[in-house]
Amino acid sequence: MTVWTPTDDGNADLTSHDTFINGAPHNTFARLRRDDPLHWTAYDDGQDFWSVTRHADITEMNRNFAVFSSARGIRMEDQTHEEYLARRTFQETDPPEHMMTRIKVAKAFSKPVIAQFEQDIRTLCDEILDETLEQDSFDATKDIARQLPMRMLGRILGLPDEDLPWLVEKGDALIANTDPDFTEHVLDRMTTDEFRMMPFNSPAGAELFVYAKDLMARKEASGDTSGVLSLIREPAKDGSTITEEEFRNFFCLLVAAGNDTTRYSIAAGLQAMCHQPELLEQMKTGDIWDTAPDEIIRWATPALYFRRTATQDYEMHGKTIREGDKVLFWWSSANRDEAAFDDPFRVKLDRSPNKHLSFGQGGPHVCLGMWLARLEVRVLFQELAKRLASIEPDGPHEFLRSNFVGGIKKLPVRIRRA
Amino acid sequence: MKVTWILPDGSEKSASVENGMNMMQAAVAHDVPGIVGECGGTLSCATCHVYVADDWQGKTGVADEFEDAMLDVAEAERREGSRLSCQIEASDALDGLVLIVPQA
Repeated sequence: MTVWTPTDDGNADLTSHDTFINGAPHNTFARLRRDDPLHWTAYDDGQDFWSVTRHADITEMNRNFAVFSSARGIRMEDQTHEEYLARRTFQETDPPEHMMTRIKVAKAFSKPVIAQFEQDIRTLCDEILDETLEQDSFDATKDIARQLPMRMLGRILGLPDEDLPWLVEKGDALIANTDPDFTEHVLDRMTTDEFRMMPFNSPAGAELFVYAKDLMARKEASGDTSGVLSLIREPAKDGSTITEEEFRNFFCLLVAAGNDTTRYSIAAGLQAMCHQPELLEQMKTGDIWDTAPDEIIRWATPALYFRRTATQDYEMHGKTIREGDKVLFWWSSANRDEAAFDDPFRVKLDRSPNKHLSFGQGGPHVCLGMWLARLEVRVLFQELAKRLASIEPDGPHEFLRSNFVGGIKKLPVRIRRA
Repeated sequence: MKVTWILPDGSEKSASVENGMNMMQAAVAHDVPGIVGECGGTLSCATCHVYVADDWQGKTGVADEFEDAMLDVAEAERREGSRLSCQIEASDALDGLVLIVPQA
């Protein structure tokens, strides 16, 4: 398979969201991994940052949270202390504070609790696929990839079906806040700082805060104890409970970060099936379901990077990262690192071991929802493979305009039913 | 020090581990099935859960508050001797340690 980015000459501007409308700039990442693995980008008058692109380096640095802190933001854009306080979630904290919040929500997303949702997910996949596959050609992101995580979110949170499209729209506006298809308030094109203090710099964040607050009040008033949200609100062993602020921030995180990432994993898997027809055959016949979800999620890498901030000087590759410097871990590059993966630009559903970093593995912020993501991806492709005879592209696919979230937002496909 | 893992099928795997390395890192380095260590030993997952063999439980110490909370979210049932192996560090005192890998 060719690299996805024919327009990438190896010197792409990583600060530009427009760079990513053809997919991640893999030629540039390959050059950086080879020639300049700790790369300095001068950016917008003092917002400069380091890029780390090798799998081994990221793995080493990610667990070193004492030096590489999340507490000053996780995107490349600078934020003031006031902004940070207004919009932070436990993504933007370090241990032990991170852990205090995380243990309150960890049970709800643990492997054994999530495993109980398998039948629910299968039922949702039945509904989605029965409806969608009546068409011969359709947008697979819109009609398949977007549907499952959205409906599953409603199921695990115990939300009314009619609220879901609105919620997902707001979640998209919040996290894909650099793509004009998803928000009227395109982050890097705004002239006022009116939205600066809102969660994710977005009015959608403010609306979601209000929804979360009302939801919690409604559930309390009605004595409703179903769903993950109730599990989250149960007191921890030490008697502490999640605060209202923690709850509404966490709710935004679920609606935004937990929703589109699984969508773009599914979309990338569907895109791979279009270009590697053997994948459908393997899904039909092969014993690949222990390994396939992680390979699809490696291929997708929906979170392109997370940023850290150095708390002290750090020597690496003959250079010095200074205290206060921003450091970007490019998961997207690490997941195509030739030194970590054999034939990284090919999807191999039986890849094992598969030490991909799509979930930020190897550090304290490893994705809380990884068991749910893997389960949704597995069940969706299992159910899809049963129903398909073939799937192929029906026109070019389009990527999100974002250097933070990597995703195929439009994927026209043509199918034949089995 | 030497460590032995007893796998769910009853077979054993042993390795020599340098002092200071933790038992999750040792297991990952030696491809012990069932020990993953998704969070790199930062107490954010429970994928390095083991049962410390009875004879060794007095020597490996006890789980602190965070480890204790994370043991509650492990895939396999929690038992006497349950620990996250990233929190057990190799030392001369643990030479001969036996860890039981839970059934997934």
